[in-house]
Amino acid sequence: MVAAKKPGDVRISGGKLPPIALPTNCPGCGVGLDHEELRRHTYVCTLCGHHFRMGADAWIALIADRGTWKERYGDVRSHDLLNWKVPKPYQETLEQLRDEGLNEAVRTGTCSLGGREIWLATFDFRFVGGTLSIVAGERLARGMEQAAASGLPYLLVAASGGARMQEGVLALMQMAKVNAAVGRLDVAGVPFFSVLTDPTFGGTAASLALLGDINIAEPGAAIGFTGPRVIKQATYADLPPGFQSADFQLGRGQVDMVVARPELRRLLAHLLEIYP
Amino acid sequence: MKLHGRRPEETTLTVWQVVELARHPDRPYSLDYIKRMAPDFVEMHGDRISGDDPALIGGVGLWHGRATMFLGHQKGRSLKERVARNWGMMHPEGYRKAIRLAQHAAKFNFPIVSLIDTPGAYPGAGAEERGIASAIAKAIMEWFRIPVPIVAAVIGEGGSGGALGMGVADRVIMLENSIYSVASPEAAASIVWRDNTRKVEAAEQLQLTSRDLLAMGVVEEVVTEPEGSARVDYEATAAALDEALYRHLRPLLAQPTEELLQHRYERFRYIDSLIRAEPHFGPKI
Ligand SMILES: [Zn+2]
Repeated sequence: MVAAKKPGDVRISGGKLPPIALPTNCPGCGVGLDHEELRRHTYVCTLCGHHFRMGADAWIALIADRGTWKERYGDVRSHDLLNWKVPKPYQETLEQLRDEGLNEAVRTGTCSLGGREIWLATFDFRFVGGTLSIVAGERLARGMEQAAASGLPYLLVAASGGARMQEGVLALMQMAKVNAAVGRLDVAGVPFFSVLTDPTFGGTAASLALLGDINIAEPGAAIGFTGPRVIKQATYADLPPGFQSADFQLGRGQVDMVVARPELRRLLAHLLEIYP
Repeated sequence: MKLHGRRPEETTLTVWQVVELARHPDRPYSLDYIKRMAPDFVEMHGDRISGDDPALIGGVGLWHGRATMFLGHQKGRSLKERVARNWGMMHPEGYRKAIRLAQHAAKFNFPIVSLIDTPGAYPGAGAEERGIASAIAKAIMEWFRIPVPIVAAVIGEGGSGGALGMGVADRVIMLENSIYSVASPEAAASIVWRDNTRKVEAAEQLQLTSRDLLAMGVVEEVVTEPEGSARVDYEATAAALDEALYRHLRPLLAQPTEELLQHRYERFRYIDSLIRAEPHFGPKI
């Protein structure tokens, strides 16, 4: 293992970020976007600080030291187990997403960050809303078991609507499966850092995402159990502005800190020096 | 996996009729069972942090001669009681209370019986403000460390993470006309169709009936209900539930703690292996 560098030496991004789908104007400040400039700035608006959602490929490029990413369990693939047909056959949804080059709602593997080897798991909201599926749960649990056995720190990047409807109660059971595995990290004394990005809800928030030894939220990320639309439907409540935002969760004791994306890599590298 | 008496798959009910039976206002609730299983039941209250959640009852009683911790969602019978018990939908305090009572049971080496009957955790602003997501997450993780046997039964509705927060156990069984689902049919329809009136189609695809869950290997047993469902005969249903729960508990009582916890881990770690081995399992449409 390479000795960690001083925090100041850690580059903003491990590798060059891939291009992502972006609007013409920033939803935060309305100003026209320079996509190349945004890409250099980890997809955070330089004017208003709006954090654009990134997929798993961009997160891996941001977190991993260049050339160190080793994907694991990428060949464990979902298929339609429950014969889900309407309104759209689930198998068709899966194949279409794979044709677009996406590989499940969670990707996992090992890499180094600031020279320190870690396990990394990142959700991808583009894959059925980043929903927790059997394969997502399997990839998470296997990685955590490996991290517990090898002592490598475990880093999670969450972005998820919750459990995947099309896999029924078996998707729900993944919450128990992954939380049991988080317990293994506790027993092994392995640090677990959780980065909560926009949005993190439902069964993902109510399982591993909020169980980090350190929970780090991105500015402006919406984080909660029940989404605002359902809360309004169920209770006719008027939700105040900023309800379930990262700052709201900081104030309610659910996350340890709210950290802007350009600072994240440096912070994580620093934490990896503090936690043995 | 054992079926007793009339085989549940002989049912002629539609999936939606099962959902309606599971939610029927005359269906026995947790206290109806607990008072029959342990007539000397003593109820306890509070999470020792900030409150008590009446949607979850908990307490101790003698069951088959053994001190036992009972936990259960409790829906209200009258409108007033329903409001007080929040229709069996727990707030964060409820999950903290459950874990507090589970740790209490562990101190005295009492086994735990958990009865599940909830539409889900409470989908309201107050629950969010007080950390419902992390309360459920923490509870699910803690259940894996509780060093006493746990048997759970879904007796009505097993709704989403709110149910699973009380459903990590060494054995999980279901009453015949109960349901257990990733989301309520209404919520699933609202997510998948953006239209909660498609609840019947959603229910048919979710595979949420007791026989679906038994076939998937998610529960160990389906307890047959009397002709006409649990609501027509509380005594017979309670006796059948009691018998099944105790039959599942008995072998666990003799198990060394380490082995018990390892098996609990593996029960959920490999819970999907049966279905993964058999693509295109089950289907309704
Ligand atoms: Zn902007």
